[in-house]
Amino acid sequence: MHWETVIGLEIHVQLACDSKIFSSASTAYGQEQNTQASLIDLGYPGVLPVLNQEVVMMAIKFGLAVDAEIADLSIFARKNYFYPDLPKGYQISQYELPIVSGGQLFITLDNGTEKRIGITRAHLEEDAGKSIHDKFPGTSAIDLNRAGTPLLEIVSEPELSSAKEATLYMQKIHQLVRYLKISDGNMQEGSFRCDANVSLKPKDNTELGTRAEIKNINSFRFIENAINYEVERQKEILEQGGSVVQETRLYDSDAGETRSMRTKEEANDYRYFPDPDLLPVKIDKEIIEKIAASLPELFNQKVDRYVKTLSIKRVDATAIAKNIELAEYFEDALNTYNGNPQLLANWLITEVMAILNKDKIEIASLSISAKSVSQLIQRIDDGTISSTIAKNIFSQLIESEMSVDELIKDQGLEQISDTNEIEQVIRTVLNENQEQQDQYLAGKEQVLGFLIGKVMQKTQGKANPKLVNDLMVEILSNH
Amino acid sequence: MTITKSDIEHLCGLSKLNLDDDEVPIYLQQMTDILEMIEQLQSADTNEIIPMAHPLDMHQRLREDIVTEANHRDIYQKNSSHVEEGFYKVPKVIE
Amino acid sequence: MERFTVKAIQNMLSEKQISATELFDLYRSRIADYNQSLNAFITTDILPNTAYMTDDQDQESSIDFALTGIPYAAKDIFCTQGIKTTCGSKMLENFIPPYDATVVRRLKTQGAVLLGKTNMDEFAMGSSNETSYFGSVHNPWDIERTPGGSSGGSAAAVAAGLAPIALGTDTGGSIRQPAAFTGITGLKPTYGRCSRYGMVAFASSLDQAGILALSAEDTAIFLESMAGFDPLDSTSVEESVPQYSQYLEENIKGKIIGLPKEFFDGSLGSAYEALIAESIDSYKKLGVVFKEISLPNIGYSVPTYYVVAPAECSSNLARYDGVRFGYRSQNIEDLDQFYRTNRQIGFGQEVKRRIITGTYVLSAGYYDAYYLKAQKVRQLINQDFARAFESVDIILGPTTQTAAFKLGEKIDDPVSMYMNDMYTISANLAGLPAISHPIGFVENLPYGLQLIAPHFKELDLLNLTHQYQKVTDWHQAVPQLLQSSEGND
Repeated sequence: MHWETVIGLEIHVQLACDSKIFSSASTAYGQEQNTQASLIDLGYPGVLPVLNQEVVMMAIKFGLAVDAEIADLSIFARKNYFYPDLPKGYQISQYELPIVSGGQLFITLDNGTEKRIGITRAHLEEDAGKSIHDKFPGTSAIDLNRAGTPLLEIVSEPELSSAKEATLYMQKIHQLVRYLKISDGNMQEGSFRCDANVSLKPKDNTELGTRAEIKNINSFRFIENAINYEVERQKEILEQGGSVVQETRLYDSDAGETRSMRTKEEANDYRYFPDPDLLPVKIDKEIIEKIAASLPELFNQKVDRYVKTLSIKRVDATAIAKNIELAEYFEDALNTYNGNPQLLANWLITEVMAILNKDKIEIASLSISAKSVSQLIQRIDDGTISSTIAKNIFSQLIESEMSVDELIKDQGLEQISDTNEIEQVIRTVLNENQEQQDQYLAGKEQVLGFLIGKVMQKTQGKANPKLVNDLMVEILSNH
Repeated sequence: MTITKSDIEHLCGLSKLNLDDDEVPIYLQQMTDILEMIEQLQSADTNEIIPMAHPLDMHQRLREDIVTEANHRDIYQKNSSHVEEGFYKVPKVIE
Repeated sequence: MERFTVKAIQNMLSEKQISATELFDLYRSRIADYNQSLNAFITTDILPNTAYMTDDQDQESSIDFALTGIPYAAKDIFCTQGIKTTCGSKMLENFIPPYDATVVRRLKTQGAVLLGKTNMDEFAMGSSNETSYFGSVHNPWDIERTPGGSSGGSAAAVAAGLAPIALGTDTGGSIRQPAAFTGITGLKPTYGRCSRYGMVAFASSLDQAGILALSAEDTAIFLESMAGFDPLDSTSVEESVPQYSQYLEENIKGKIIGLPKEFFDGSLGSAYEALIAESIDSYKKLGVVFKEISLPNIGYSVPTYYVVAPAECSSNLARYDGVRFGYRSQNIEDLDQFYRTNRQIGFGQEVKRRIITGTYVLSAGYYDAYYLKAQKVRQLINQDFARAFESVDIILGPTTQTAAFKLGEKIDDPVSMYMNDMYTISANLAGLPAISHPIGFVENLPYGLQLIAPHFKELDLLNLTHQYQKVTDWHQAVPQLLQSSEGND
C-alpha cells in the first residue's frame, strides 16, 4: 500500500508590537513574573478590551505579502474554555470573518522546482499566560505577563507532502515575518510556534485520513524529526489495519518521539460567538493601499535586485538575503563602498559568517560595524592591503576600538607594492632557496607556490601577492 | 426541546459548575421550562435577516501602540490569597 | 422626614444652609436608622470624599464643580477603588477593586460624594433583588414586597430618602422596573452613552449604566456628568453630551407619542390600565399627540433576551475561578474540582441557572438555532422600532404588568419572574434610551410608566418627564415608613 503524507501547519507568530493586543501593558520578553499583566490582561471584573492599531497593520502587511484577501469587515470571537493561564476563561480570537484569508506561498524544493502552498487564513488572537508546573510542589505557578500578547495564527492548506516540505514552508514563513518586521521570529523565546496536523491516506484517495496534531514545535530541526516520526507511527498503525486516533500529541525531542497529551481536547466545545465587547473591524481600501505601497522589499525581490543591479552571483545573493538582518548589514556596508559588490558579498559569506557560526551569535551582536567591513574591502580594492592582511585586521576589529585605517597605520600593515623592494626580497629568497629555484627551472612548476610563500613570510604577508607572482615568474624566466 | 440529566452534567462540565444531587432535578425542571419559553423564537421569520451583534452600527476603534501600563503587581495581587514569589498558584495541572 | 432632591441640595449648599459634611452625616444617620429594615446597602462604612467639602460655612468654596458635595449611592456592581465591590455575590464578598469605574471617576471629579454601595440581585441577574447573597432588599412602600431588581438597593435607597440619587445598571429593565416599584424615576440611557468600563459585566451587549432619582431634573443633572465617550470602552460612542438640564423646559406641544398596540392588548389589570389612561390624559393636556403604532415582533423580546443575556453572561462569568480574586476554597488538589467548587459555592442559584442556559444556547449544535436565531430576532425588533420612530417621537407603554409583588412570590418560578421584564427588555435589545416615572398608586403601591426614545434622545425623555412632573406630584409621594418617623432632620 502506498501511503501519501498530508500535512497542514498552524503557525503562531507573536507580533512585534510594544503593547498588547487589547491592553496597553508591555510585551517585552523575560520580565519578572506578573509585572506586565494589567487589569485587562488579568481579566479583572469590569475591564474591557481595546484593539491595538499596529496589530491590524501587521496582519494586513502579512496578508498582502502572501497575496491574500484582506477582510473588509472582520470579527473577534470568544473561544471559551477553562485553563489557569487563560484569565478570562475565554481567549479572544477570530472564528468567522478572519482578517486575512486565501493566500499563497512558494517553496523551492530540493530539485529546484517551486511548489505552491495555499494559506487558508491568518487571524489575530491573544496569547495566554505561562504555567510552570515544577516550581512549587503540588501546585502550578502561573505567570500572566504573556497573557494578551498579540498573535497572528497562520493556517496552511493541507498541501505539504513531506516533513521536508513542511520545514521549507515553516522556514519561508519565518523569513517572511522577519522581512516584514512584524515579528522577530525568536523560537527560543516563543515568538514563533508551530503545530503540525499530520495524516496519511492511500495514494489516489481523495478523502483525507484522520489526523493527529503535533503541538508546539519550536525549531526547524524538530519539525522534520517530529513529522517523520509521526508519519512512521501512523503508517505502522494503518498497515496493521488499525485506525489513527484524532488527538493532540507533544514532540519529545529527547526521546525523538511524539506522545499523546492527556488533556481531552476533543471533549472541548469552544462555543465560539462574536465578542460583544469589541466591534467589527473595518478596513478601508485606502489603508490597504497605503500599506501595500510601504511594504518592504521581500526576499525574492531582494535576490533579483542583487543579481540584476549589483551583479552578484545568484547563489551568493540568496545566501545573504536569506537572513534579513544579514542583508541589511550588507546594504549598510554598501552605502559607504565604492567597489565591486561581489567582493563585499564574498567577505560577508566567508569571513563574517564564519565568526557568526563560530561564536554562535546573530549579526546584530557582531561588534564589527558594517562601515568597518566596507572600509576593509575598500582598502583591499585600492591595493593598500592584501586580502591576507585584511583577514588579520578583521579579527582585530572584534576587540579593537581603532578604525581600519588606524590599524593599518599603527601596525604598518600597508601592502608592499614597490617593484624594486619586492624584487630585492625575491632575489634574497631565491638565493636562500637554491634547491627550489633549480627545481622550478627544471620544470617543477608547483615549487613556485613555495617560493612565493617564502617572499610573503619575509614581508610579513605585506607584499602584493600578484606582483610577487608576476615578478617571481619574470625573474625566474630571465634566469 | 427536552433536556436530560446528562445534558446538565455536560453543561456543568463545560462551565465548571457543581450541582448537589438534590439540586439537579430542580434545575432540570427549571431548565425545561426556560427552554420551552425560548422555543417561541422558532416561530419568528428571520429569513434573510442579518444577526444583530450590536445595537449601533459602529466599527471598532483602534488604539495607538504605546505602553502606558506600569507594574502594579503588588496592588493587584492583594486580591488573591495564593500568591508566591509573584506567581499565582493553582492546584497542579496535569498534562 | 424630607427627601431632598439633588436640585434642592444644590440650592441648600450654594446658599450655605447646610455644609457638605453635614449633608453627608445626615444621610449617613438615615442609613443607620433604616438600612436594617430595608437592607438597601451592602457597604456603608465609606470615608467621605473630603476634597470637595468645606466645613466652614462662611468660607467661599474655592472648588465649585457641577456636583460638589452631592451625596449619591452606587449599585455594588460599579468598581470603586479601595472600596469593597461585591456584585451582591459571595464570589466577590471580599473583593476590593484597585480602580474606579469610569462613571464613578467622573462623578468623583465633579465633586459628588459616595455614600455607600447598594444591594443588588447577584451579578445583576434578577428582577426582585431576592438573589443577593446579602439578603433581599425590602420595598420602602411595603417591606414585605420586593423593590424590584436588579437595582433594588439603589431604588429602595432613593425612595426611602437614604440617598438623594443613585447609580444603577439596566440590562433588561433593572433600573426602570425597580423605579416603577418604588415610585421614583429611573433612566436607562442609550447603549454606548455611558461607559461600561469598571461596571462588572453581565450581558455586554445589553448592560448600561443609568440613574435612579426623585425627578427627571435630578436625572438630567447627573447624566450630564456621567455620560460621554470613554476610550477604555470600545462600545462607547463618540456622541457629544448635551446639557440635559437645559432642555427640560423645551416645549413639548406637538410631540407625537406612539402607543404600541402590542403593549395595550388588554392584558393589564384594570387598575393599572386606568393609571396609564390618566397619565396619557395628562400628557395630552400638555399638548402631546398620541398615535397607535405596532411593534409586531415585540412579543419575542423575552425569549430573545433569555438567549442572548445568559449566553453573554456564561462567558463573562468564566473569569470567576478563584485564582486571581474571588471566592476560593481551600485544600482542593484537583484543578477541575477546584474550579467547580469555587463556583458552586461562590455563585447563587439564579447565576448558575443562567450560566447553564447560556452554555446550552452556545454549545455545538445549538448555536444556530438559539444564539444566532436570537440575534436575528433582535434585528427584527430593532427594525420595528426604527420603523415606528419614522412616524413618532417617543413610544409609551407600561413599565411593568403590576405593582411590586411579595417577596418569595416568584423566586421559585424563573419563567414567571422573567416575564416581569416583558415591557422593558425590548429597549435593551435595541439599545434605545428609556425612562420610567411614577404615575400613581394601586392599593398604595406605586406604579410607573415607560417612555422609549430613539438612540441618543435622552433629552426628549427627560423633557417630557419633567413637564409631566411639573403638573403632577406622584414623584413626590413619600413612603409611609418615613412619614411616621420621628425627629426632624
